[in-house]
Amino acid sequence: MDQRAWRRFRKNKGALFGAVLVSFVTLTAVLGPLLAPHDPNEQLRETLINDDYEPAAPFEVPGHWLGADSTGRDELSRLLHGGRVSMMVAYLATLLAIAIGTLAGVTSGYFGGWIDFGWMRLVDLLLSLPFLLIAIAIQRVVEDPSLFFLILLLALLSWTTLARVTRSKVMQVRQLEYVQAALALGMGHLRILLRHVLPNVLGPIIVLGTTLVARMIIFESALSFLGLGVDPPDASWGSMLNEGRQQLAYPWLMLFPATLIVMTVFGFNLLGEGLRDAFDPKE
Amino acid sequence: MPSIRRSEALGCWVPVLTGLGLLGILIATWPDPPQGPRFEGAGAPTPRSGGTFVFHHEENVRTLDPHIAYDELSGMAIRLLFDGLLDYDDESNLIPSLAADMPTVSEDGLRFRFRLRPGVRFHPMPGLPSGRELVAEDVSWSLHRLLSGAVGSPGYPFFSSILGADEYHRGEADRIEGIRVVDRYTIDFTLKEPDQTFLNAMAMTFAYPVPRENYEHWGEEVKFHPVGTGPYVFDEWERDVELRFSRNRRYWRDRPGPDRMIFQENLARELAAQRFRNGDLDAIHRQSPSDYRFFRNAERWQPYLSEFPRVSTFGIGLNCEMAPFDNVHVRRAVAFAIDRQGWSRARSGRLLPAGQILPPALPGHDPNLPEAHTFDLDRAREEMRLAGFPEGIREPVTVWISGQDQTSTQYGELLQQDLARIGIQVRMRFVSFAAYLTESGKPHTVPAFFTGWNMDFPDPSNFLDILFHSRSIHPENSENRAFYRNPELDAILDEARSETDRHRRIDLYRRANAIVSRDAPWAFTYYPLSMEVWQPYVKGYRPHPVWSQDYRNVWLDLPRRRLAERLVGAGSTAPAVFFPLGGRR
Repeated sequence: MDQRAWRRFRKNKGALFGAVLVSFVTLTAVLGPLLAPHDPNEQLRETLINDDYEPAAPFEVPGHWLGADSTGRDELSRLLHGGRVSMMVAYLATLLAIAIGTLAGVTSGYFGGWIDFGWMRLVDLLLSLPFLLIAIAIQRVVEDPSLFFLILLLALLSWTTLARVTRSKVMQVRQLEYVQAALALGMGHLRILLRHVLPNVLGPIIVLGTTLVARMIIFESALSFLGLGVDPPDASWGSMLNEGRQQLAYPWLMLFPATLIVMTVFGFNLLGEGLRDAFDPKE
Repeated sequence: MPSIRRSEALGCWVPVLTGLGLLGILIATWPDPPQGPRFEGAGAPTPRSGGTFVFHHEENVRTLDPHIAYDELSGMAIRLLFDGLLDYDDESNLIPSLAADMPTVSEDGLRFRFRLRPGVRFHPMPGLPSGRELVAEDVSWSLHRLLSGAVGSPGYPFFSSILGADEYHRGEADRIEGIRVVDRYTIDFTLKEPDQTFLNAMAMTFAYPVPRENYEHWGEEVKFHPVGTGPYVFDEWERDVELRFSRNRRYWRDRPGPDRMIFQENLARELAAQRFRNGDLDAIHRQSPSDYRFFRNAERWQPYLSEFPRVSTFGIGLNCEMAPFDNVHVRRAVAFAIDRQGWSRARSGRLLPAGQILPPALPGHDPNLPEAHTFDLDRAREEMRLAGFPEGIREPVTVWISGQDQTSTQYGELLQQDLARIGIQVRMRFVSFAAYLTESGKPHTVPAFFTGWNMDFPDPSNFLDILFHSRSIHPENSENRAFYRNPELDAILDEARSETDRHRRIDLYRRANAIVSRDAPWAFTYYPLSMEVWQPYVKGYRPHPVWSQDYRNVWLDLPRRRLAERLVGAGSTAPAVFFPLGGRR
């Protein structure tokens, strides 16, 4: 990020707020297991379920500050571990999607012709598929899907917008004089791509990647909500939300994961917007 | 947007903060749902007719053909539409219904003679707009259809003791030798061997007489067009939404009841509880743990609810032909590792710990059974050591669970933690109820599964014979899903089935019960505690010991009246405010 972009970014309060949210959530996800006061999967059926068979409410039992779920597991620990799963899936899937999308966009934009045609028809095809429906269908067909499979699925279905944007940017850059000059000088394609083209399209990629993380978190939550995410007893925010929704008498079970999801997505979107404004001074 | 001025930055936060504030106010002042009933009856001293009774089930009715239906919710509708020759009274005793009196039995216990009540009429049906009289020939035709191989009724095994039923079922005979129509109102049944459960079988919904004309008219579609002799006539079925019935005004047993009944299917228990508390539903029978707690603690609902142990047993089925459960010690280790009290705590205290297949309500249950399954970690670890796995089993075990909601996940997680303590890792496999039924009925397919059995009639054979006799093992559709084979148990059960001395018979079942606990083809977990709640203006209803949700004797104390002072407390916003009678009837 050059100096001017950084200055623009710093002045954008919304973006800074987003950055703070994102780093907070990311940090808790990374450090989650260290911060979690208890084993997230241990059922304390005697201590965290009272004699009226209610799970401990927040602040009711010392040491379990966010209460417990109806099986007697510490809610705070589950949230910290669950965030880890949600964030890991979102980050890895985004990285993978960026990799595929950049490769597709750069090669099709730079070389054009059949390569372009091939990639773009694939993009058209994928864009015409209803994402969530496909994900559900595949998850149902594949017996016993793993977390890695979920990441792969999310990535494979969501690199398309990135590829399109990168492609158009690359087509612009390709026409610039210095690229033409480099070609005339007999520079290799790979070198031109790495030296001149990629740095120019990095901005949009970062911006799109940031908002993609937000979308991934939503998708992961949606899939977990439908019971297609992590395997029990492990938690993710989406699966916790799903369990909470069925026990509205204990609203915290739904409120906590929902708040965290909203917060994270909001943070990533703010950050993405801020980055876009910073990289693109035309407005 | 190169830079943001302070006032602009503030400007964007004002609506956000205002929105949050409004949300907070909304949450704080959101009206609580009513704490007690919202309507009460008019106080009629004697039963009267009229009104609409609305009840529900959370699943979908598959069929209304009594020959095919074998589940609780179809039964709810079928008992309104049809009658059996025999029925049960409130104490689980067999009583005559379409039969004029109890059948006469020959000396050797092989021949039963039923005399039909004259003047009973079928509902209107295609070609017969005013119905027609039920005769002995109908009973014979119905049983022939039930037992024919082509129909494939799950009820067939209950009637296999009728002379010639097997041959007819296999298609080797064109009629059943043991069924003989004597005259217009008399029919004889001959058995090939004494069967103490034959009369129970004749009271099952499978044996409800149906008119031949209706089946010939509709063919396969007959499951949507039921015609019986029952107290209600079928009106309409809006699939996945509701079934509508109206009172049979030519019913042979003239008694008052609601003019219309509406059976809302596919209505989730949480939603049903909300509708019930709002006065839009007249009875509920399944509750989520939190709704259950609400009703149990709500003082004003106490006169209108009943809590009782259902005659059902739940457990973890362990496939005796598949590793590691082919080892009896592993099965027993599982049985001793389950913390049944802990499970109950997580399920609102509604699970009564079970240690044997026969529930407490059935003869043969032994409260002091030495072999009974209990929570005893030391014994569980000892059994694991005897099994040759002192350190636990490395390979995770796949346990099948039907459904994938909070309830099924929670049960799976409870089992996971308990078995982890003795070194068995549980992996859950969530499948639909239909897939569970199909797959677990095949040998060598499902190693372990959450299962349960609800009684069809109050006799121990209905649990032991069906679930653990080797005769219930088939290449497909086995009811003995644990694939447990024990010649000793088979012999005892066969002896008990034809034993005529009641005490000796119960004693045999007591022995069988002990054997099953000892060999643990299931790790028994709990007997469920049921709760049913009904509106104050619903009269004449009590949970029936045999039939689930039997609404045949209900009458409505109308007009129902809104309870004024409770309305204020409820802070009601429902449109029902504008209709003094709730806008429904």
